[in-house]
Amino acid sequence: MCGLCGIFLTESHWTDAALAASGSGGRTRRHERLHRVALANRILKRYGLKLTDWQGSAYLLGSQTGQTAIVPSVAAVWPAAERLRRQSIDPLDERLIEALEEN
Amino acid sequence: MTSGSSLTPVNVLTGFLGSGKTTLLQRLLRSRRMERTAVLINEFGDIGLDHLLVQQVDESVLLLQSGCICCSIRDDLKSALRGLLSRRERHEIPAFDRVVIETTGLADPGPILYTLLSEPVIRHHFQLGNVITTVDVVNADLHLSRNREGIKQVAAADRLVLTKSDLAEPGQTAALRDELARLNPSARLWDAAEDPVDVDFLLDVMPYGRQPGPARHRLEGGDLGRRRGMAAKPAAVGGLRRHTDSVSSFSLILDRPMDWTAFGIWLSLLLNRHGDDVLRVKGILCVEGTETPVFINGVQHIVHPPQHLERWPTEDYRSRIVFITRGIDQGRLRRSLEAFCRLRVAELSAA
Repeated sequence: MCGLCGIFLTESHWTDAALAASGSGGRTRRHERLHRVALANRILKRYGLKLTDWQGSAYLLGSQTGQTAIVPSVAAVWPAAERLRRQSIDPLDERLIEALEEN
Repeated sequence: MTSGSSLTPVNVLTGFLGSGKTTLLQRLLRSRRMERTAVLINEFGDIGLDHLLVQQVDESVLLLQSGCICCSIRDDLKSALRGLLSRRERHEIPAFDRVVIETTGLADPGPILYTLLSEPVIRHHFQLGNVITTVDVVNADLHLSRNREGIKQVAAADRLVLTKSDLAEPGQTAALRDELARLNPSARLWDAAEDPVDVDFLLDVMPYGRQPGPARHRLEGGDLGRRRGMAAKPAAVGGLRRHTDSVSSFSLILDRPMDWTAFGIWLSLLLNRHGDDVLRVKGILCVEGTETPVFINGVQHIVHPPQHLERWPTEDYRSRIVFITRGIDQGRLRRSLEAFCRLRVAELSAA
Protein backbone atom coordinates (compact mmCIF):
# COMPACT_ATOMS: atom_id res chain seq x y z
CA MET A 1 0.00 0.00 0.00
CA CYS A 2 1.18 3.48 -0.79
CA GLY A 3 1.72 5.31 2.51
CA LEU A 4 0.82 8.68 1.05
CA CYS A 5 -2.43 8.00 -0.70
CA GLY A 6 -3.63 4.74 0.78
CA ILE A 7 -3.91 3.00 -2.57
CA PHE A 8 -3.06 -0.66 -2.74
CA LEU A 9 -0.32 -1.29 -5.23
CA THR A 10 -1.32 -4.39 -7.09
CA GLU A 11 0.68 -7.14 -8.69
CA SER A 12 1.41 -6.50 -12.33
CA HIS A 13 -1.29 -7.57 -14.74
CA TRP A 14 -0.60 -9.66 -17.80
CA THR A 15 -1.27 -6.65 -20.00
CA ASP A 16 1.67 -4.93 -18.27
CA ALA A 17 3.99 -7.75 -19.22
CA ALA A 18 5.59 -5.95 -22.14
CA LEU A 19 6.83 -3.29 -19.77
CA ALA A 20 9.25 -5.75 -18.26
CA ALA A 21 10.77 -6.67 -21.57
CA SER A 22 12.13 -5.04 -24.63
CA GLY A 23 8.85 -5.38 -26.43
CA SER A 24 6.05 -2.99 -27.08
CA GLY A 25 8.08 -1.03 -29.58
CA GLY A 26 10.83 -0.32 -27.08
CA ARG A 27 8.69 2.23 -25.26
CA THR A 28 9.60 3.34 -21.78
CA ARG A 29 7.22 2.49 -18.97
CA ARG A 30 5.76 5.97 -18.90
CA HIS A 31 5.46 6.14 -22.66
CA GLU A 32 3.81 2.74 -22.66
CA ARG A 33 1.24 3.82 -20.09
CA LEU A 34 0.44 6.92 -22.09
CA HIS A 35 0.15 4.85 -25.23
CA ARG A 36 -2.19 2.47 -23.46
CA VAL A 37 -4.33 5.31 -22.20
CA ALA A 38 -4.48 6.82 -25.69
CA LEU A 39 -5.57 3.53 -27.25
CA ALA A 40 -8.14 2.79 -24.56
CA ASN A 41 -9.58 6.26 -25.01
CA ARG A 42 -10.18 5.54 -28.68
CA ILE A 43 -12.75 3.06 -27.45
CA LEU A 44 -13.93 4.79 -24.31
CA LYS A 45 -14.75 8.11 -26.00
CA ARG A 46 -17.51 6.32 -27.88
CA TYR A 47 -19.15 5.73 -24.55
CA GLY A 48 -18.60 9.20 -23.12
CA LEU A 49 -15.73 8.12 -20.89
CA LYS A 50 -12.13 9.19 -20.52
CA LEU A 51 -9.14 7.45 -19.02
CA THR A 52 -6.08 9.16 -17.55
CA ASP A 53 -2.94 7.88 -15.94
CA TRP A 54 -3.04 8.25 -12.17
CA GLN A 55 0.36 8.74 -10.60
CA GLY A 56 1.90 6.07 -12.77
CA SER A 57 0.39 3.36 -10.63
CA ALA A 58 -3.30 3.26 -11.54
CA TYR A 59 -5.80 4.74 -13.95
CA LEU A 60 -8.56 7.24 -13.38
CA LEU A 61 -11.72 6.65 -15.35
CA GLY A 62 -14.16 9.53 -15.61
CA SER A 63 -17.54 10.14 -17.16
CA GLN A 64 -18.99 13.31 -18.64
CA THR A 65 -21.21 13.64 -15.58
CA GLY A 66 -18.25 13.69 -13.22
CA GLN A 67 -18.39 10.12 -11.99
CA THR A 68 -14.96 8.62 -11.49
CA ALA A 69 -13.35 5.29 -10.69
CA ILE A 70 -9.75 4.38 -9.95
CA VAL A 71 -8.68 1.09 -11.47
CA PRO A 72 -5.37 -0.79 -11.21
CA SER A 73 -5.04 -2.19 -14.73
CA VAL A 74 -6.44 -1.90 -18.21
CA ALA A 75 -8.40 -5.10 -17.66
CA ALA A 76 -10.16 -3.45 -14.72
CA VAL A 77 -11.13 -0.48 -16.88
CA TRP A 78 -13.85 -2.32 -18.76
CA PRO A 79 -16.03 -3.55 -15.88
CA ALA A 80 -15.66 -0.11 -14.27
CA ALA A 81 -16.65 1.58 -17.51
CA GLU A 82 -19.70 -0.65 -17.82
CA ARG A 83 -20.71 0.22 -14.28
CA LEU A 84 -20.36 3.94 -14.90
CA ARG A 85 -22.24 3.78 -18.20
CA ARG A 86 -24.65 1.06 -17.14
CA GLN A 87 -24.22 -0.59 -20.50
CA SER A 88 -22.01 -3.28 -21.92
CA ILE A 89 -18.92 -2.51 -23.94
CA ASP A 90 -18.63 -5.36 -26.38
CA PRO A 91 -15.68 -5.66 -28.77
CA LEU A 92 -17.86 -7.90 -30.92
CA ASP A 93 -20.58 -5.25 -31.19
CA GLU A 94 -21.16 -4.79 -34.91
CA ARG A 95 -21.56 -1.04 -34.54
CA LEU A 96 -18.27 -0.70 -32.68
CA ILE A 97 -16.45 -2.85 -35.22
CA GLU A 98 -17.88 -0.87 -38.13
CA ALA A 99 -16.97 2.41 -36.48
CA LEU A 100 -13.39 1.24 -35.95
CA GLU A 101 -13.19 -0.09 -39.49
CA GLU A 102 -14.29 3.27 -40.85
CA ASN A 103 -11.35 4.87 -39.11
CA MET B 1 7.30 -11.13 -19.59
CA THR B 2 8.52 -14.08 -17.67
CA SER B 3 10.85 -16.75 -18.90
CA GLY B 4 11.97 -20.18 -17.73
CA SER B 5 13.25 -20.06 -14.16
CA SER B 6 13.82 -22.00 -10.96
CA LEU B 7 10.15 -21.87 -10.07
CA THR B 8 8.73 -25.26 -9.13
CA PRO B 9 6.45 -26.52 -11.89
CA VAL B 10 2.91 -27.47 -11.01
CA ASN B 11 1.01 -29.84 -13.27
CA VAL B 12 -2.75 -30.10 -13.09
CA LEU B 13 -4.19 -33.53 -13.83
CA THR B 14 -7.88 -33.38 -14.52
CA GLY B 15 -10.54 -35.42 -16.28
CA PHE B 16 -13.97 -36.75 -15.66
CA LEU B 17 -14.95 -39.23 -12.96
CA GLY B 18 -13.59 -42.65 -13.77
CA SER B 19 -11.57 -41.44 -16.72
CA GLY B 20 -8.32 -42.84 -15.36
CA LYS B 21 -6.63 -39.88 -13.67
CA THR B 22 -5.33 -41.89 -10.75
CA THR B 23 -4.22 -44.77 -12.94
CA LEU B 24 -2.24 -42.32 -15.06
CA LEU B 25 -0.82 -40.71 -11.94
CA GLN B 26 0.28 -44.09 -10.65
CA ARG B 27 2.04 -44.83 -13.93
CA LEU B 28 3.76 -41.46 -13.89
CA LEU B 29 4.88 -41.84 -10.28
CA ARG B 30 6.65 -45.11 -11.12
CA SER B 31 9.11 -43.14 -13.22
CA ARG B 32 12.38 -42.19 -11.53
CA ARG B 33 11.89 -38.74 -12.97
CA MET B 34 8.95 -38.36 -10.61
CA GLU B 35 10.76 -39.30 -7.40
CA ARG B 36 10.90 -35.73 -6.18
CA THR B 37 7.26 -34.99 -6.84
CA ALA B 38 4.72 -33.80 -4.31
CA VAL B 39 1.17 -34.84 -5.06
CA LEU B 40 -1.96 -33.00 -4.03
CA ILE B 41 -5.05 -35.08 -4.42
CA ASN B 42 -8.66 -34.43 -3.86
CA GLU B 43 -11.05 -36.63 -2.03
CA PHE B 44 -14.54 -36.66 -3.41
CA GLY B 45 -17.29 -38.50 -1.61
CA ASP B 46 -16.99 -40.74 1.39
CA ILE B 47 -14.15 -42.98 0.36
CA GLY B 48 -10.72 -41.52 -0.16
CA LEU B 49 -9.87 -44.17 -2.69
CA ASP B 50 -7.62 -41.86 -4.63
CA HIS B 51 -5.68 -41.12 -1.52
CA LEU B 52 -5.14 -44.78 -0.74
CA LEU B 53 -3.85 -45.41 -4.22
CA VAL B 54 -1.19 -42.79 -4.13
CA GLN B 55 -0.05 -43.34 -0.57
CA GLN B 56 3.37 -44.32 -1.87
CA VAL B 57 4.44 -40.71 -2.17
CA ASP B 58 4.08 -40.62 1.58
CA GLU B 59 4.82 -37.34 3.26
CA SER B 60 4.54 -35.39 0.10
CA VAL B 61 0.91 -36.32 -0.21
CA LEU B 62 -1.63 -33.95 1.17
CA LEU B 63 -5.28 -34.78 1.11
CA LEU B 64 -7.45 -31.78 0.51
CA GLN B 65 -10.48 -32.08 2.71
CA SER B 66 -13.17 -30.27 0.83
CA GLY B 67 -15.19 -31.91 -1.89
CA CYS B 68 -14.30 -29.82 -4.89
CA ILE B 69 -10.96 -28.23 -5.46
CA CYS B 70 -12.18 -25.57 -7.80
CA CYS B 71 -15.01 -23.82 -6.00
CA SER B 72 -15.12 -24.44 -2.34
CA ILE B 73 -11.52 -25.06 -1.48
CA ARG B 74 -9.47 -22.67 -3.46
CA ASP B 75 -8.21 -21.48 -0.12
CA ASP B 76 -7.34 -25.08 0.67
CA LEU B 77 -5.31 -25.30 -2.49
CA LYS B 78 -3.57 -22.08 -1.58
CA SER B 79 -2.94 -23.33 1.94
CA ALA B 80 -1.76 -26.71 0.69
CA LEU B 81 0.77 -25.19 -1.70
CA ARG B 82 1.95 -22.66 0.84
CA GLY B 83 2.21 -25.45 3.38
CA LEU B 84 4.31 -27.55 1.04
CA LEU B 85 6.57 -24.61 0.43
CA SER B 86 6.96 -23.86 4.10
CA ARG B 87 7.62 -27.46 5.07
CA ARG B 88 10.16 -27.84 2.27
CA GLU B 89 12.04 -24.78 3.42
CA ARG B 90 12.07 -26.07 7.01
CA HIS B 91 13.26 -29.47 5.76
CA GLU B 92 10.26 -31.16 7.34
CA ILE B 93 9.54 -33.02 4.11
CA PRO B 94 11.85 -34.32 1.42
CA ALA B 95 12.80 -31.72 -1.13
CA PHE B 96 10.55 -31.81 -4.17
CA ASP B 97 10.99 -30.21 -7.53
CA ARG B 98 7.52 -30.73 -8.96
CA VAL B 99 3.92 -30.71 -7.78
CA VAL B 100 1.09 -32.61 -9.40
CA ILE B 101 -2.48 -31.66 -8.51
CA GLU B 102 -5.09 -34.29 -9.25
CA THR B 103 -8.48 -32.63 -9.37
CA THR B 104 -11.88 -34.12 -8.85
CA GLY B 105 -13.76 -35.28 -11.88
CA LEU B 106 -16.19 -32.44 -11.50
CA ALA B 107 -13.59 -29.71 -11.19
CA ASP B 108 -13.70 -26.62 -13.32
CA PRO B 109 -10.00 -26.12 -14.03
CA GLY B 110 -10.33 -22.35 -14.29
CA PRO B 111 -10.27 -21.45 -10.60
CA ILE B 112 -7.39 -23.83 -10.02
CA LEU B 113 -5.32 -22.12 -12.67
CA TYR B 114 -6.40 -18.78 -11.30
CA THR B 115 -5.13 -19.70 -7.86
CA LEU B 116 -1.80 -20.81 -9.28
CA LEU B 117 -1.34 -17.72 -11.39
CA SER B 118 -2.67 -15.03 -9.13
CA GLU B 119 -2.00 -15.86 -5.48
CA PRO B 120 0.96 -13.64 -4.57
CA VAL B 121 3.09 -16.18 -2.69
CA ILE B 122 2.30 -19.09 -4.97
CA ARG B 123 3.05 -17.24 -8.18
CA HIS B 124 6.49 -16.32 -6.92
CA HIS B 125 7.44 -19.89 -6.07
CA PHE B 126 5.50 -22.06 -8.47
CA GLN B 127 5.02 -22.10 -12.20
CA LEU B 128 2.09 -23.65 -13.98
CA GLY B 129 3.16 -26.55 -16.16
CA ASN B 130 1.14 -28.61 -18.56
CA VAL B 131 -2.50 -29.26 -17.85
CA ILE B 132 -3.27 -32.92 -18.55
CA THR B 133 -6.83 -34.06 -19.14
CA THR B 134 -7.81 -37.71 -19.28
CA VAL B 135 -10.65 -38.67 -21.59
CA ASP B 136 -12.27 -42.08 -21.33
CA VAL B 137 -12.83 -43.23 -24.90
CA VAL B 138 -15.69 -45.55 -24.01
CA ASN B 139 -17.62 -42.98 -21.98
CA ALA B 140 -16.53 -39.70 -23.58
CA ASP B 141 -19.97 -39.14 -25.06
CA LEU B 142 -21.55 -39.41 -21.63
CA HIS B 143 -18.92 -37.28 -19.91
CA LEU B 144 -18.98 -34.45 -22.41
CA SER B 145 -22.75 -34.36 -22.63
CA ARG B 146 -23.66 -34.40 -18.96
CA ASN B 147 -21.47 -31.68 -17.61
CA ARG B 148 -20.08 -28.43 -18.89
CA GLU B 149 -16.94 -29.05 -16.86
CA GLY B 150 -16.05 -31.88 -19.23
CA ILE B 151 -15.75 -29.46 -22.12
CA LYS B 152 -13.84 -26.98 -19.97
CA GLN B 153 -11.40 -29.70 -18.96
CA VAL B 154 -10.77 -30.59 -22.59
CA ALA B 155 -10.40 -26.94 -23.58
CA ALA B 156 -7.93 -26.21 -20.76
CA ALA B 157 -5.69 -29.15 -21.65
CA ASP B 158 -2.18 -28.98 -23.00
CA ARG B 159 -2.19 -32.77 -23.16
CA LEU B 160 -5.24 -34.94 -23.82
CA VAL B 161 -4.79 -38.49 -22.62
CA LEU B 162 -7.06 -41.09 -24.17
CA THR B 163 -7.87 -43.89 -21.76
CA LYS B 164 -9.59 -47.26 -22.17
CA SER B 165 -9.10 -47.23 -25.93
CA ASP B 166 -8.37 -50.97 -25.63
CA LEU B 167 -12.00 -51.42 -24.52
CA ALA B 168 -13.51 -49.23 -27.22
CA GLU B 169 -15.64 -50.27 -30.17
CA PRO B 170 -13.97 -50.23 -33.60
CA GLY B 171 -13.81 -46.68 -34.86
CA GLN B 172 -14.66 -45.15 -31.49
CA THR B 173 -11.11 -44.03 -30.75
CA ALA B 174 -10.59 -42.50 -34.18
CA ALA B 175 -13.88 -40.62 -33.92
CA LEU B 176 -12.97 -39.27 -30.52
CA ARG B 177 -9.54 -38.23 -31.73
CA ASP B 178 -11.18 -36.24 -34.51
CA GLU B 179 -13.58 -34.60 -32.13
CA LEU B 180 -10.91 -33.71 -29.58
CA ALA B 181 -8.76 -32.27 -32.36
CA ARG B 182 -11.72 -30.14 -33.35
CA LEU B 183 -12.42 -29.03 -29.79
CA ASN B 184 -8.85 -28.30 -28.79
CA PRO B 185 -6.44 -28.20 -31.72
CA SER B 186 -3.68 -26.80 -29.53
CA ALA B 187 -3.47 -29.89 -27.31
CA ARG B 188 -1.39 -32.97 -28.10
CA LEU B 189 -2.94 -36.41 -27.82
CA TRP B 190 -1.48 -39.41 -26.00
CA ASP B 191 -3.09 -42.84 -25.86
CA ALA B 192 -2.61 -44.41 -22.43
CA ALA B 193 -3.47 -47.88 -23.67
CA GLU B 194 -0.95 -47.86 -26.52
CA ASP B 195 1.86 -45.47 -25.74
CA PRO B 196 4.58 -45.95 -23.13
CA VAL B 197 4.67 -43.37 -20.37
CA ASP B 198 6.64 -40.35 -21.47
CA VAL B 199 7.07 -37.99 -18.56
CA ASP B 200 8.78 -35.37 -20.68
CA PHE B 201 5.98 -35.31 -23.19
CA LEU B 202 3.17 -35.31 -20.70
CA LEU B 203 4.52 -32.95 -18.08
CA ASP B 204 7.49 -31.00 -19.29
CA VAL B 205 7.64 -30.28 -22.97
CA MET B 206 5.56 -27.23 -23.45
CA PRO B 207 4.68 -25.46 -26.66
CA TYR B 208 7.57 -23.93 -28.53
CA GLY B 209 10.28 -24.90 -26.12
CA ARG B 210 8.92 -23.28 -22.98
CA GLN B 211 10.31 -25.21 -20.07
CA PRO B 212 9.45 -25.22 -16.43
CA GLY B 213 12.53 -25.41 -14.27
CA PRO B 214 16.01 -25.88 -15.75
CA ALA B 215 16.03 -25.16 -19.44
CA ARG B 216 16.06 -28.12 -21.78
CA HIS B 217 15.77 -27.02 -25.31
CA ARG B 218 13.34 -29.47 -26.75
CA LEU B 219 11.11 -27.82 -29.23
CA GLU B 220 7.59 -28.92 -29.69
CA GLY B 221 6.48 -27.68 -33.02
CA GLY B 222 3.22 -27.78 -34.83
CA ASP B 223 0.80 -27.15 -32.03
CA LEU B 224 -0.66 -24.16 -33.71
CA GLY B 225 0.90 -23.93 -37.13
CA ARG B 226 -0.51 -27.15 -38.46
CA ARG B 227 -4.01 -26.30 -37.42
CA ARG B 228 -4.88 -23.55 -39.79
CA GLY B 229 -8.48 -23.76 -40.86
CA MET B 230 -9.41 -26.56 -38.52
CA ALA B 231 -12.39 -28.39 -39.85
CA ALA B 232 -14.62 -30.85 -38.10
CA LYS B 233 -15.35 -34.30 -39.44
CA PRO B 234 -19.01 -34.57 -38.70
CA ALA B 235 -19.66 -37.90 -40.37
CA ALA B 236 -17.15 -39.76 -38.27
CA VAL B 237 -18.13 -38.54 -34.85
CA GLY B 238 -21.79 -39.33 -34.59
CA GLY B 239 -23.50 -38.71 -31.28
CA LEU B 240 -20.64 -36.88 -29.62
CA ARG B 241 -21.05 -33.90 -31.90
CA ARG B 242 -24.56 -33.28 -30.68
CA HIS B 243 -23.18 -32.29 -27.30
CA THR B 244 -20.23 -30.24 -28.45
CA ASP B 245 -21.64 -28.45 -31.47
CA SER B 246 -21.83 -25.13 -29.67
CA VAL B 247 -18.09 -25.30 -29.05
CA SER B 248 -15.83 -24.47 -31.93
CA SER B 249 -12.14 -23.91 -32.39
CA PHE B 250 -10.43 -21.89 -35.02
CA SER B 251 -7.10 -20.27 -35.62
CA LEU B 252 -6.46 -16.72 -36.67
CA ILE B 253 -3.34 -15.84 -38.57
CA LEU B 254 -2.31 -12.21 -38.77
CA ASP B 255 0.21 -11.10 -41.34
CA ARG B 256 1.32 -7.86 -39.70
CA PRO B 257 3.30 -7.55 -36.48
CA MET B 258 0.95 -6.39 -33.78
CA ASP B 259 1.12 -3.74 -31.11
CA TRP B 260 1.16 -5.60 -27.80
CA THR B 261 -0.77 -2.82 -26.09
CA ALA B 262 -3.53 -2.85 -28.68
CA PHE B 263 -3.76 -6.62 -28.42
CA GLY B 264 -3.93 -6.41 -24.63
CA ILE B 265 -6.73 -3.88 -24.78
CA TRP B 266 -8.65 -6.01 -27.25
CA LEU B 267 -8.20 -9.31 -25.40
CA SER B 268 -8.97 -7.83 -21.99
CA LEU B 269 -12.11 -6.28 -23.42
CA LEU B 270 -13.09 -9.54 -25.09
CA LEU B 271 -12.57 -11.56 -21.91
CA ASN B 272 -14.45 -9.02 -19.82
CA ARG B 273 -17.54 -9.43 -21.96
CA HIS B 274 -17.20 -12.99 -23.28
CA GLY B 275 -14.74 -14.71 -20.95
CA ASP B 276 -17.21 -17.43 -20.02
CA ASP B 277 -17.45 -18.40 -23.67
CA VAL B 278 -13.79 -18.05 -24.58
CA LEU B 279 -12.75 -21.42 -23.26
CA ARG B 280 -9.17 -21.12 -24.45
CA VAL B 281 -6.84 -18.70 -26.17
CA LYS B 282 -3.41 -19.94 -27.11
CA GLY B 283 -0.94 -18.66 -29.60
CA ILE B 284 2.29 -17.06 -30.61
CA LEU B 285 2.38 -13.41 -31.51
CA CYS B 286 4.66 -11.43 -33.73
CA VAL B 287 4.97 -8.28 -31.63
CA GLU B 288 6.36 -5.02 -32.90
CA GLY B 289 9.76 -4.28 -31.44
CA THR B 290 10.66 -7.90 -30.70
CA GLU B 291 12.42 -10.36 -32.96
CA THR B 292 11.21 -13.48 -31.18
CA PRO B 293 7.59 -14.51 -30.65
CA VAL B 294 5.51 -13.96 -27.57
CA PHE B 295 3.54 -16.93 -26.29
CA ILE B 296 0.10 -16.31 -24.87
CA ASN B 297 -2.12 -18.81 -23.10
CA GLY B 298 -5.46 -18.19 -21.46
CA VAL B 299 -8.35 -20.18 -20.04
CA GLN B 300 -11.60 -18.25 -19.85
CA HIS B 301 -10.91 -15.08 -17.84
CA ILE B 302 -7.45 -16.23 -16.83
CA VAL B 303 -4.40 -15.31 -18.87
CA HIS B 304 -0.98 -16.72 -18.09
CA PRO B 305 1.91 -14.28 -17.92
CA PRO B 306 2.99 -13.93 -21.55
CA GLN B 307 6.39 -15.37 -22.34
CA HIS B 308 9.09 -14.40 -24.78
CA LEU B 309 10.22 -17.48 -26.64
CA GLU B 310 13.81 -17.95 -27.67
CA ARG B 311 13.05 -18.46 -31.32
CA TRP B 312 10.33 -19.00 -33.87
CA PRO B 313 9.34 -22.64 -34.29
CA THR B 314 9.24 -22.38 -38.09
CA GLU B 315 10.12 -19.90 -40.81
CA ASP B 316 6.59 -18.57 -40.59
CA TYR B 317 6.83 -15.40 -38.53
CA ARG B 318 3.16 -14.51 -38.48
CA SER B 319 0.98 -14.35 -35.38
CA ARG B 320 -1.10 -17.48 -34.90
CA ILE B 321 -3.82 -17.69 -32.29
CA VAL B 322 -6.11 -20.62 -31.57
CA PHE B 323 -9.47 -19.87 -29.99
CA ILE B 324 -11.83 -22.40 -28.45
CA THR B 325 -15.14 -20.66 -28.04
CA ARG B 326 -18.77 -21.31 -27.36
CA GLY B 327 -21.27 -19.48 -29.51
CA ILE B 328 -18.90 -16.80 -30.77
CA ASP B 329 -18.85 -15.94 -34.43
CA GLN B 330 -15.39 -16.53 -35.87
CA GLY B 331 -15.69 -13.92 -38.59
CA ARG B 332 -16.77 -11.23 -36.21
CA LEU B 333 -13.98 -12.06 -33.78
CA ARG B 334 -11.42 -11.72 -36.56
CA ARG B 335 -12.87 -8.43 -37.76
CA SER B 336 -12.86 -7.12 -34.22
CA LEU B 337 -9.21 -8.01 -33.64
CA GLU B 338 -8.15 -6.60 -36.98
CA ALA B 339 -10.11 -3.40 -36.35
CA PHE B 340 -8.36 -2.90 -33.03
CA CYS B 341 -4.99 -3.51 -34.67
CA ARG B 342 -5.82 -1.03 -37.45
CA LEU B 343 -6.86 1.47 -34.84
CA ARG B 344 -3.32 1.48 -33.64
CA VAL B 345 -1.90 1.80 -37.15
CA ALA B 346 -4.20 4.71 -37.88
CA GLU B 347 -3.07 6.44 -34.71
CA LEU B 348 0.56 6.15 -35.67
CA SER B 349 -0.14 7.39 -39.16
CA ALA B 350 -1.96 10.39 -37.76
CA ALA B 351 0.96 11.08 -35.44
